[in-house]
Amino acid sequence: MTGATTRPLAAPDAALPPVVNPWLAALRLLLADKLALVAAGFLLLMALCAIFGPALLGQPANAMNLRMRNAPPFDLENGWLFILGADALGRSILARIVVASQNTLSVAAASVASAMVVGCLLGLIAGYLGGWLGGLIMRLADVIMSFPSLLLAVIVLYMLEPRVANLVLVLAITRIPIYLRTTRAEVLEIRERMFVQAARVMGASSPRIIVRHILPIVVPTLITIGTLDFAFVMLAESALSFLGIGIQPPEITWGLMVAQGRGYLSQAWWLAFWPGVAIILTTMSLNLLSAWLRTATDPMQRWRLEQGGRRPEWRSGG
Amino acid sequence: MGNFIGKRSLSSAIALAGLVILVFFLARLTGDPTNLYLPLDASLEARADFRERHGFADPLIEQFGRFVVDVLHLDFGESIRKARPALEVVLEAFPWTLRLAALTMAIVLVLAILIGSIAAYRPGGVFDRLSSIISLAGASAPDFWVAIVGILVLSVSLGWLPTSGVGTPWHWVLPVGVLIIRPFGLILQVVRGAMITALSSAYVKTARAKGVRQRAIIFVHALRNAMLPVITVAGDQAAGILNGAVVVETIFGFPGIGKLMIDSILQRDFAVIQAAILVTAIAIFLMNLLIDIAYAMLDPRIRHG
Amino acid sequence: MRSYASAAALSVLAAALLAAPAGAQDRAVTIVLPEGLDIVDPCHVSRSNIGRVLKQNVVETLTEIDPEDGSITPRLATGWEQLDDDTWRFQLREGVKFHDGADFNAEAVKFNIERMLGDAIYCEDKAKFFAGTDLEVEVTDDHTIDVTATPPQPILPTLFGTIAIGSPNLPTDELTREPVGTGPYVFAEWRPDRDIVLERFEDYWGEPPAVEQATYVWREESAVRAAMVAAGEADISPTIAAQDATDPEMDFSYFNSETSRLRISMDVPPLDDVRVRKAVNHLIDREAMIGTIFPEGVVPAANLVVPSINGHNPDIEPYSYDPAKAKELLDAARADGVPVDEEIRLIGRLEVYPNATESMEAILAMLLEGGINASLEMVEVAQWTDLATKPYAEDRPPTLLQSMHDNNNGDAVFTVYYKYHSEGAQSDTDDPELDRKIIEAGAATGEERTKMFQEIFRIVHDDVVPQVLLYHMVGFSRVHPRLDFTPTLATNSELQLSQISFKE
Repeated sequence: MTGATTRPLAAPDAALPPVVNPWLAALRLLLADKLALVAAGFLLLMALCAIFGPALLGQPANAMNLRMRNAPPFDLENGWLFILGADALGRSILARIVVASQNTLSVAAASVASAMVVGCLLGLIAGYLGGWLGGLIMRLADVIMSFPSLLLAVIVLYMLEPRVANLVLVLAITRIPIYLRTTRAEVLEIRERMFVQAARVMGASSPRIIVRHILPIVVPTLITIGTLDFAFVMLAESALSFLGIGIQPPEITWGLMVAQGRGYLSQAWWLAFWPGVAIILTTMSLNLLSAWLRTATDPMQRWRLEQGGRRPEWRSGG
Repeated sequence: MGNFIGKRSLSSAIALAGLVILVFFLARLTGDPTNLYLPLDASLEARADFRERHGFADPLIEQFGRFVVDVLHLDFGESIRKARPALEVVLEAFPWTLRLAALTMAIVLVLAILIGSIAAYRPGGVFDRLSSIISLAGASAPDFWVAIVGILVLSVSLGWLPTSGVGTPWHWVLPVGVLIIRPFGLILQVVRGAMITALSSAYVKTARAKGVRQRAIIFVHALRNAMLPVITVAGDQAAGILNGAVVVETIFGFPGIGKLMIDSILQRDFAVIQAAILVTAIAIFLMNLLIDIAYAMLDPRIRHG
Repeated sequence: MRSYASAAALSVLAAALLAAPAGAQDRAVTIVLPEGLDIVDPCHVSRSNIGRVLKQNVVETLTEIDPEDGSITPRLATGWEQLDDDTWRFQLREGVKFHDGADFNAEAVKFNIERMLGDAIYCEDKAKFFAGTDLEVEVTDDHTIDVTATPPQPILPTLFGTIAIGSPNLPTDELTREPVGTGPYVFAEWRPDRDIVLERFEDYWGEPPAVEQATYVWREESAVRAAMVAAGEADISPTIAAQDATDPEMDFSYFNSETSRLRISMDVPPLDDVRVRKAVNHLIDREAMIGTIFPEGVVPAANLVVPSINGHNPDIEPYSYDPAKAKELLDAARADGVPVDEEIRLIGRLEVYPNATESMEAILAMLLEGGINASLEMVEVAQWTDLATKPYAEDRPPTLLQSMHDNNNGDAVFTVYYKYHSEGAQSDTDDPELDRKIIEAGAATGEERTKMFQEIFRIVHDDVVPQVLLYHMVGFSRVHPRLDFTPTLATNSELQLSQISFKE
């Protein structure tokens, strides 16, 4: 994703404005969108949590203290670690959220990224080449789509161990079809557009057409879906824990924390609430940032950021 | 078109067969149901006897042979748990889920297209930001959390809706309400993104130059092209409900296929797993076929490959 | 029940007018169970989810076990006597009819016993209570049977409290989907995806019960079951999680005859050393978990059976929480070359009881605190049963396996053989002396039997130590205030509608 920011994807029928330093330009565009700036800040914070959290707060996250069971939030008497309250074993919820961010974010990122890459590749083949291979790939997508993710989860987690890596495998496989089908659908449409036809007539090779003309249009859509999928994957992981076939303690993820806290919704809402908030904020930040990225990398749209989003150009002309 | 559907049906049938075979072997990798079905105290002889009786003692390939012969006679076996034909159990549950999925997706599509188009009309505007943030927050909330809070607030505290179960139309409000949230958030974003692209593309500008009124521009020209990714994502979400409204069905005691599936998987009731997957797969294959036909209708340039 | 009430009430009213006799509405109850029923055959009533609906409601037993003290009272049998070591004579109640009009008599009982023990269908009751036992039934007269058991069954009257008598018209080659019995309720309707309806049997031989109609529905989430009773959609939820039992007006706690423990893989080092097993026991702070992870009311256990069971030994004390002593024991074992620092796997079973996962997390923390190199893994029920029953994996690691045992059948024999005899399907012990004592106790009668079982529990607790006993558990029920109903020890496996009355 950062690669895309530094080298803006070009739509073929628009000239690139001169960019002196791409990093600086990106920063300038980011500063122009306050919401995206906040989102980027939050994601940076989460990334720091994921990297350093377990080392810093691993001990308090696992320290049981039954006298603190379900201690309510906003009570500073017990120290700042308990500002979000304590869970059913009296452990600091804040510490657990910070520590769990590592598992949660790596599961989601790894699942989405691998599903996106594999799905996009297969989708390009199916859409561009078509033929029997394309048909085979599409039927494969149908099979995956109809194969219940629950059964897949039970199979993988029963045969292997219910560890993070295996969960990524399950989630990635189940998410492939959406990228595959989206890519193919877009390719089918783009393939017929004038400029692609023109490039083909002019003798451009297929890989060149795909990389230069098709990918730049497909990728933004995939990224939009991918950032939304990030939430989906976190929630799917949570649902698996809810159903008893996902990650289990002593591992922690936000999804597992929500699933474990659901039994206490009527007495201690904070058990399920804060990790839920973490999921929601992360997802929203990602989406805000991806919306910004989409705008910033699209030469047709970038003016919105450069000019504060106040001048809907195409309307003023009408 | 007829040729396309014929070819497609054939390849789909082959894929279905592949799926069934895959499920047969993969499901059996998760152990047999003997220990689950018999009381814990059952003796080793009783266990051996049970395996013998249900054929779990035979080599896998032999079990598979029997299964194939049975399926060719349209017999999908008997549910060990329920002591009745697996297909009967599945066909009892499937219509519930189908209705749930259809109702949910119909509402989602109408809402998402309407709100997404309005949002795309002025990207970055107040309406756009607000609708995005609210729908995204909803879509990222865990559904079991929303469902239980919904019951506690709407049913217990306010007494407006029944907590769970089926029976009256009111019983559908909470399950559908919870199911809508996620696909709505997702599809809204896709509609919005696709509409922004479509609105700034050359042909809409051409249409505008020709003097077609603006509202018509949005809803006919732009929407028509924006529909491709929307339909794809909607299909994915509908498939998700068809074979996976498990959480909602579990919480609301909704007698659909998701609940049946998770129970059968956890109990290793293979015949039911197989029949359920076959039925949902046929539904999903049919839906994907319809989607491909819709692609062609939306964009006549797309050839069927 | 407000704004949707008008539409809902109309349809309910219409249904009631069509289906039920007038006045049934306020004498009908709805019971919300944690799981639905897959089968409803009378020969499966010992499976708790089936027994809770059918047992003593639709089908009755010959004898009835009093859950409070384990004593046996007459039900369909009016009396019994032991003729010799192998044979018992039962007098049957006269003037009893099945719901389908058939007479209840000696032939009907013989039919049921043979149906259950036969090979044509799988019956849980046989697998649970009569595996390896042969019963020969002789019809002495229309209302007397002589039952000869091989091997001898000194507690046959107790065993007959666990099997239900269905109509002689039931199919012998398949499980029935329309159970017919002699009980106070007729099995009226079963929609497997939704509900079961029982209606009062007007020709019942006993006192007519107050409840005229009972509808059973099922919801998996405890919070939803509790909400249904609170919203007036259901009248009784026999089990809810402790954290949902927040309303003293509606919620009851009760001993549910279950006992929780961790099983120890005694054959694997370092757990093959009794000092290590005792040390583990001393590291669990049982008091600290009461009122927190486990609800108020649970009692630290020293026996695997609850006090009402014949053979429970009241004189043994649970292991104290004593980390110093545990350290001493571990050090002594280490000095003798026992690989004390080997990783010990705690394996939990998801949802085996409320807060099962949290309790294992707490135990993990306690063991780590005490210097045991423990790790935790939670598994689903299928994986758990594979680990919990023989044959065990050859190379299994040293394991502490979370489990729970339920015996509400009055006698310790239902526990000790399976759990402690070396041939038991779930035993971890291998001790010829203990085996001998278990067999002897099972054959003994009266006071001697009680004493022998008590001795076995003492030896197991003090010397063999194949387990970390945790608690005698409590369950929680939510009952709508319009009903007069108190859950008992038996509520887990049966729920007699005739014990429900209405407050006016």
